[in-house]
Amino acid sequence: MNKRPGIWFYIFLVVFVFFVMFPFIWVFLTSIKPPGEIFNNFKWFTSNPSLESYENALTNRPLVRYMMNSFIISSLTTIIAIAFASIAAYALTRLPIKFKGLILGVILAASMFPQIAIISPIYNFITAVGLRNSYMGLVIPYITISLPLAIWILATFFQKIPWELEESAKLDGATPFQTFRKVIFPLAAPGVFTTGILVFIAAWNEYLFALTINTEDTWRTVPVGISFYQSQFTIPWGDISAATVIVTIPIVILVLIFQRRIVAGLTSGSVKE
Amino acid sequence: MKFELSEKQLGYLMVAPALLLVIMITLWPVAQSFYNSLFDYRLNDPSRSERFVKSNVDLERYANDFFYLSRDLEGLAGQAPNQDVADAATKISKDIEAYHEKLLAMDGLSEQYEEVEGRLASFTAISDRELKYAEVDKDFASDYKDFLTSAEKEITTLSQNSEDEAFKTASANVAGAINSSNRAIIESNFIGLGNYSKYLQSERMWKALGNTMFFTVASVGVELVLGLLIALLINRVFMGRGLVRASVLIPWAIPTAVAAMMWAFLYDGQTGIVSHYFEQFGLIRDASVLLSTGTGGMFSVIFADVWKTTPYMALLLLAGLQTISGSLYEAAEVDGANKWQQFWKITLPMLKSAILVALLFRTLDAFRVFDLIFVLTGGGPANSTESISIYAYITLFSQQNFGAGSVLSVIVFACVAIISTLFIKFIGSDLFAGRSSR
Repeated sequence: MNKRPGIWFYIFLVVFVFFVMFPFIWVFLTSIKPPGEIFNNFKWFTSNPSLESYENALTNRPLVRYMMNSFIISSLTTIIAIAFASIAAYALTRLPIKFKGLILGVILAASMFPQIAIISPIYNFITAVGLRNSYMGLVIPYITISLPLAIWILATFFQKIPWELEESAKLDGATPFQTFRKVIFPLAAPGVFTTGILVFIAAWNEYLFALTINTEDTWRTVPVGISFYQSQFTIPWGDISAATVIVTIPIVILVLIFQRRIVAGLTSGSVKE
Repeated sequence: MKFELSEKQLGYLMVAPALLLVIMITLWPVAQSFYNSLFDYRLNDPSRSERFVKSNVDLERYANDFFYLSRDLEGLAGQAPNQDVADAATKISKDIEAYHEKLLAMDGLSEQYEEVEGRLASFTAISDRELKYAEVDKDFASDYKDFLTSAEKEITTLSQNSEDEAFKTASANVAGAINSSNRAIIESNFIGLGNYSKYLQSERMWKALGNTMFFTVASVGVELVLGLLIALLINRVFMGRGLVRASVLIPWAIPTAVAAMMWAFLYDGQTGIVSHYFEQFGLIRDASVLLSTGTGGMFSVIFADVWKTTPYMALLLLAGLQTISGSLYEAAEVDGANKWQQFWKITLPMLKSAILVALLFRTLDAFRVFDLIFVLTGGGPANSTESISIYAYITLFSQQNFGAGSVLSVIVFACVAIISTLFIKFIGSDLFAGRSSR
């Protein structure tokens, strides 16, 4: 276990990281080629880099609008889901209620529901209340995806908070709600934040609902918008590469900053400590 | 005691909103999907665009059509070229009047009909379902429809046999009006399990289900083995850990649709670098194979999925590995166990629950695969990569057939339920152990 890693280990690491990153590297290198050089050309580096593809990507399709839509929808989803989930997860881990196992079971089951099984009634509902092509039209179904996920992860984080603090707050005469606000919440804030990142990423990446509910171009989100760059007859790979780079950069930044938290959140539900 | 009670109530109060939301937007729609699957329910067909357990009359449409129909039918007898034709037209006119009166004689129908006529006269659309549709007796509806069908046929024949141009046009119009009135009478589109028996015999459905299972088993299998290998290799202290972790997280974090677009570019027969290298290394016979043949398509989809999710799998397993205490290995070393024995006797058993949980989440995710395949191959070539979710999506939204599409949704749901039940049997109560007990 505590062997000092040798040179072979680092060579393996470099090769592994290279394979994982290869699609991004190639797409980036393509995006800075002049569009004429892309076809039937497998040279890695272009001798005259240009930003033409970036210009095209931003002007041929409303990419900035897609990103704004995605950002607003994902933020709203995160805020609503976290608000409901943190209250529920607190009650489930801390308060003496019955049927905890059953409630958690229902929530876990809901998080496993295939989206295709609920999409047609949700589509009918959103159409009936006139929310097609709007932000709320997607925020409502996204809560289905994020709420169970958020409750599940938050319950794990809340479980780890030491009990004694709560007991002493209770002895000092704090109500359960005060305990929650003054003791639990500050301690749980890192967990809540982590859950928020995961919920945000899940909402940002969703495709099926975004595809069926927001069908007007100005209301599309990033994943759907990108998949519609190709037209019937031509596939503008230059535009697509540039657009991919543009939408990937915020995610790369997010991951670089919060990687520790993300890993903690991802693994919290699966490993017992 | 009093405090305890109120704390309990507060607990329920705090869980209730989230639980209600979950029930409203996941459990209720699943029930709805199942209900929809029992109907011949199509959004693009006005007579089937609602779910009717009983026979109904679309009064808005019927009142509108009937107004023109009765006027034109009475006029038709006057225009008839000979007495026989005039008699036939009069008879149809009288019979239709009789059916119409019988319809209005039903409970409360005449008031409803008047109200609808009033709305029509003022050109306001009727959005209230209660007003628009009137439930009618099943036998009456089918009699009336049969009669209208035969009347339409008769008048069409009269029209075709006639040599008088004016009568020809007038009678053709009447036939059209009868046809329209006929469609305003809607027989129940409840067909019970009819959709199911259709799909259980459908080759395309079984093919899609087979594709989905193959995709799930192959991609999750490869991901597990590769992920475990990677986790074992990087489970140690080394320089640049953060960098490796971040690079591994990026494929997981980008939208699947964006990843699929990237791979579509890499696999492309003309400009794709991956297909180019595969051809150069002799792995495929020419660069177009990856996206234009069934096997190539399936391979491409699985390969892209492995790229996107193996890192995630490795992270989950790495977290599991890090909980195994080093002293276990030291003890095994002292006892003379080699690395291989250590792996089988210590690592795997200790990792069992982490592996099962990771497998559960990944299997369910892979089984409902949609965006990756939809964007990368669109289910093609020739449906060879079509997953069950994609087939359901096409039936629901491209064909607007909500009844049949819901059957496919229910099938996906049932499969997911079976898979999770099996896994949870294996995992046992471990999953809840840390959370439900205080």
